[in-house]
Amino acid sequence: MIVNFLTYLRERPSFLKWLFLAYLAFALIFDFFADRHHAHFWGDHLVGFWAAFGLVGCLAMIVFCKGLSHVWLERDKDHYDK
Amino acid sequence: MTSSIFMHPATMFIIGALLLPLAKKCKVQKIWLVLIPLVAFIQIQYLPESFGKVEWLGFDLQFGRVDKLTMVFLHVFTLMALIGSIFGLHVKESGQHVAAWLYVAGSLGTTLAGDYLTVFIFWELMAFASVFLIWYRKRKRSIEAGYRYLLVHTFGGLVLLGGIFLRYQNVGDLTFELISVDQATLADYLIMIGFMLNAAVPPIHAWLPDAYPEATVTGAVFMCAFTTKTAVYVLARGFAGFETLAIMGAIMTLYGVAYAVIENDARRILAYHIVSQVGYMVCAVGIGTEMAINGASAHAYAHILYKALLFMGIGSVLEMTGRSKLSELGGLYKYMPYTMIFTVIGGISISGFPLTSGFISKSMIIAAAGNNHQLVIMAMLLLAAVGTFLSVGIKLPYYVFFGPRDSGLQPKEAPWNMQVAMGIAAFMCIFLGFYPDYLYDMLPYAVNYHPYNSYHLTETFHLLGFTGLGFYLMVKYLKPHDVSNLDLDWFYRRGADWFMWVARKPVSATNEWVSNIYQNIGLRFTMALARALSWFDWEGIDWALDGSARGVVKGGEQVRQFQTGKLQHYIGAAVALLFIVLIVVVLV
Repeated sequence: MIVNFLTYLRERPSFLKWLFLAYLAFALIFDFFADRHHAHFWGDHLVGFWAAFGLVGCLAMIVFCKGLSHVWLERDKDHYDK
Repeated sequence: MTSSIFMHPATMFIIGALLLPLAKKCKVQKIWLVLIPLVAFIQIQYLPESFGKVEWLGFDLQFGRVDKLTMVFLHVFTLMALIGSIFGLHVKESGQHVAAWLYVAGSLGTTLAGDYLTVFIFWELMAFASVFLIWYRKRKRSIEAGYRYLLVHTFGGLVLLGGIFLRYQNVGDLTFELISVDQATLADYLIMIGFMLNAAVPPIHAWLPDAYPEATVTGAVFMCAFTTKTAVYVLARGFAGFETLAIMGAIMTLYGVAYAVIENDARRILAYHIVSQVGYMVCAVGIGTEMAINGASAHAYAHILYKALLFMGIGSVLEMTGRSKLSELGGLYKYMPYTMIFTVIGGISISGFPLTSGFISKSMIIAAAGNNHQLVIMAMLLLAAVGTFLSVGIKLPYYVFFGPRDSGLQPKEAPWNMQVAMGIAAFMCIFLGFYPDYLYDMLPYAVNYHPYNSYHLTETFHLLGFTGLGFYLMVKYLKPHDVSNLDLDWFYRRGADWFMWVARKPVSATNEWVSNIYQNIGLRFTMALARALSWFDWEGIDWALDGSARGVVKGGEQVRQFQTGKLQHYIGAAVALLFIVLIVVVLV
């Protein structure tokens, strides 16, 4: 049953995409109504600050780590056996 | 007081481990495997505050010291022993279970120890027992990784022991209590380094991602829970408030997660991710406020359960397919749906989704950093949370169970006992998310923190949602390749090669050169000297001794010729002599 449901969803990627975008929109709207008096610093007062932090952080991390791996760290899996 | 040793939960696991082969003989191994951890899990609730005080060689040892900090860790350790043992029920080899239980015993003993000597004894038991969980995989790589693991831990143990000795010399007391930052000396820092090695704090962390992916399927489930979290406990007990730890911990969270983003082997990803998660705890210990210590304990509790759940999920895939590399997996959700659900629950818990255990524990540490006005550290922890969701929350389940391509594998669902173990762990992850007070009531200090406030929720919605967007945009770039990445173990793995090269080439060449010189010059000289001595011996000493000896022999020979033994010769000779006498008499 679970398998059929997941397969059904996987065959409809555009539906999943819209669902995901709807969730992101909901998160942004929710941020306008959040109670902010526990704020630790200036960023906590900006609407959407953590959204930007998440997106930029994620992209930067992928680019930096994957880049570092490609130019320097990457080795064959039996590197040490040679 | 010696009788109180028997109430020590480690005693139960040690005796249980020793009797395990007997239980196997009687065909009750499976019952025994569940019974002992279950009894221990119940029995720890009834431990007195102090027990097992022994005087030995003038040292006051204390095997049992129980307070709230101890209890959180004891609770999750015994629970984890139960889950791990159920997960390994199908393993017939008693040796693996014996090693796992001795390892658990070491961890419990360290947690309960009230003095440094007892800590050290159980610390070494942990290292020694756990290495067998790697060796039982019985592959060449595992044997080698096990030796490296043992060597690194032996080194760490020696640093710890050195610190303990120095401390005894300085203070004259080995009680294991909180050390204040102002009075810390070299001895205390050596002890701290010994503890940090087990917590896998970079740059002494590389043993962990080197060894854990090579362990057996069940062994890895045990190992991911005990070594690092015991280290977090001893750091929280002895070194709370050391700023170094806060900084190192924050670096750890990013270091571990960076490798988790680029690695290919699923168990290696999870192993690197332990470094990241333990970073949160080490950081909280370093912050050292009441809220931070609460956060470290809560996060250790939650982390043990969801990290074990992830190791069990990936372990089930490895057990059923023989593969653990993301580049060789994909599309397994059709064949292992329950394993998939459990692994995803582990993944969302570790990422800190609302209504899971990660949400109520990780946020406590981040809030503690914020309340303490350590904003850089707070930002680092949040960035690591982004990386966590990216690497373990999305990437791992996506490439194993769904993925852009179907691997063509059609494995069976994991055995029932593995599913039961995963089910218990998954239940606990969700249960703690719904009912955080169950965990908060166990914490060392009173909790004045409510995770479900609207600001914390919106922060989490954003971080997770937009990290997901980042993954969606970059998914092609994240495609796994069949490679592994260099880490700081390079220094001792290549270092060992260089050592062997030096041993083979220069040392061996010098040895050969010296022996050539000896053969060509030394040997000839010796022979000449020997000849000279032998000549002197012959001509000098023997001439004197042998000369006289030869004289005696010659004389004897001549005398012998007279003694022919024939009577007529004697009579003839006597008559001749008589004649000569007569002639002489007559003539004179």
